[in-house]
Amino acid sequence: MWIIAAPCLVLAFWSASWTAGRLTGDGLWPPDDVTLSEAVATRNNAEAVRLIEGGANPNQPSRVRDGLLTSDYAVTIKPIEAAVGAQRADSVRTLLAHGASVDQEELRVLRCLERTRHDSGVRELLAVQSTSAVDCNGIRSPLDRVR
Amino acid sequence: MPRMVRPAFRSPATTLAIVLATLITMPLADSLYRVPIQVSDSLEPIVIAAKYDSAQHLLHDSVTFSPTTFRPLRYLQARALLAFTQATGLTYHAVFRGLHVVLLLMLIALFVAAVRVRNWPDLVAFAVAFPVLLGIHTFLSMLFEAFPVNHFAEVGVCAMALFVLAQHQARWFVPIVACVLLALTLSVIESGAMVWVTVICCAAAGLRGINRTTVIATTVVFAGYLLLRHVLGISSPGIGGHGSGFGDRFYAPEELAQRFGAHPIGFMIYNVTGGLASLLFAEPRQGVYALLAAWREGEIHPVVLINVISSSATTALLIWYAAARLPRRRSAWSDADRTFVAACTAVIVNAAFNAVYIKDEIMSPAGLFYAIATFVAVRALIDSFPTQALAATSLAACVLATVAALWTFRAVGVHYQLRYDAFTTRNDWVEVLRPDKHAAWPEDPVELALTARIRAEAIARRTTSPSFMPRWTDRYWVE
Repeated sequence: MWIIAAPCLVLAFWSASWTAGRLTGDGLWPPDDVTLSEAVATRNNAEAVRLIEGGANPNQPSRVRDGLLTSDYAVTIKPIEAAVGAQRADSVRTLLAHGASVDQEELRVLRCLERTRHDSGVRELLAVQSTSAVDCNGIRSPLDRVR
Repeated sequence: MPRMVRPAFRSPATTLAIVLATLITMPLADSLYRVPIQVSDSLEPIVIAAKYDSAQHLLHDSVTFSPTTFRPLRYLQARALLAFTQATGLTYHAVFRGLHVVLLLMLIALFVAAVRVRNWPDLVAFAVAFPVLLGIHTFLSMLFEAFPVNHFAEVGVCAMALFVLAQHQARWFVPIVACVLLALTLSVIESGAMVWVTVICCAAAGLRGINRTTVIATTVVFAGYLLLRHVLGISSPGIGGHGSGFGDRFYAPEELAQRFGAHPIGFMIYNVTGGLASLLFAEPRQGVYALLAAWREGEIHPVVLINVISSSATTALLIWYAAARLPRRRSAWSDADRTFVAACTAVIVNAAFNAVYIKDEIMSPAGLFYAIATFVAVRALIDSFPTQALAATSLAACVLATVAALWTFRAVGVHYQLRYDAFTTRNDWVEVLRPDKHAAWPEDPVELALTARIRAEAIARRTTSPSFMPRWTDRYWVE
């Protein structure tokens, strides 16, 4: 008869461990510590805004761990490059609203990056900055592995 | 130990049931508390409640806020919580989300009181029914709501409180409590009528706590509510007032009005049967049959299978109880039989509330009663074990354990979906008071200050990104 109760007992045991973990600052799926670029890469716009309002520079490159935008290697990129790489127009808009600046050279990099990670929303946002044709010859993707 | 608390701990099985419920509920309350105050549904009523100069003025005007709803207490509750926040110095998050957690704790406590675990077989049945309570999709939908006070949880608490009262001897105060709870819930949302339905179902099933006085008094209150709506010119929403599913797709309000507006009866029957089926078989959801879409696309997500199998197996158990164990004559019914009948009747009547559109939240009171009925049926099955052959008993125990495991898995998924909800709700605040859209900011200084503070609280509360949770979870927990 007790086998019927086993799943609930296991859940109670797990729940107790999650509560204990929570009290010690961990628990079930706690918030991760992320850089600004990682927050953007994981479409965590609210965390990006929290970091910027806390003093993080929206134009400063920061590390993005492997598995988020790239496989098997980490990259150090600007938050707006992470937003384009993650195909998040809302993140691009959020960064621009919170002080991210894009010069013509950076815009060229972003537009070329968008060509490899197609997103119509991102393309429209970048097109507002410049409508001229873009030449991607000689442009290295920020997401490429640095050798 | 105080006299009132002593009966709750009268046996080790009772104590263990309370311990189990407490252990499982604590992290659930934490997951719920992590969800910020919503932008949609919550910010507007909070701002409206704050801007009025007096509660009387707010109450007077709130009656005319919508031509199809009568929810004056929605705004008064928000105003009371705002006043409480200012008086205590707590954050808005602590007060509004804290109340949400309190409602969850009350629901769990009332469920434990309703099933009344007294011995070890009861405890085993509880170990199946409790994950059903938490894992059923209507429970999660109820947790997602916030207007900014969770009205569906309020309805659930009031309906369950009356159900618990109905299981005990009739007392002089029951009619008064029933009328107060009914008036309270009807003042916040139309689904509050489920409190009256609960009274009628309990009385019809012969639960001894509901006498003729309670039935008459609550019926008078409900009739008065309908009359008041009529006098105020508040109509019921028709087809097209809200989006809803049909077949394998979801339709926008205007599409529904165009397709079914002229001949709504068939669509309403579809909604009522679909609402009932959604609870009993986990399909359709919001009126959409995911199985149909999966068949068409040739791919079925595990979450659909898990939900359909666990719900269908549990419903089969309820049908077995009703067919095989329920005496034909009402006078021969035991207390458990009456509890089962009252709960199942409430489930069926609740489905009628879906007539105009199907929404999981509307069926949330039925989800609570479904779990109670499950407890009664599982308890009866366990009782039948000694009379069965060993092979049959073993097989039934294994099947029941598998079903319990599936429900437990669904209950764990509530944590995941609440994390996801916290993430998206917090992200919604990014679009509020955007620095590049100053022109869209509120001009009223009270509204601006209030919005800015709630936004700051939401942004400051870190949440877990789904990107850092296991990749497989979406396919197994999110429909």
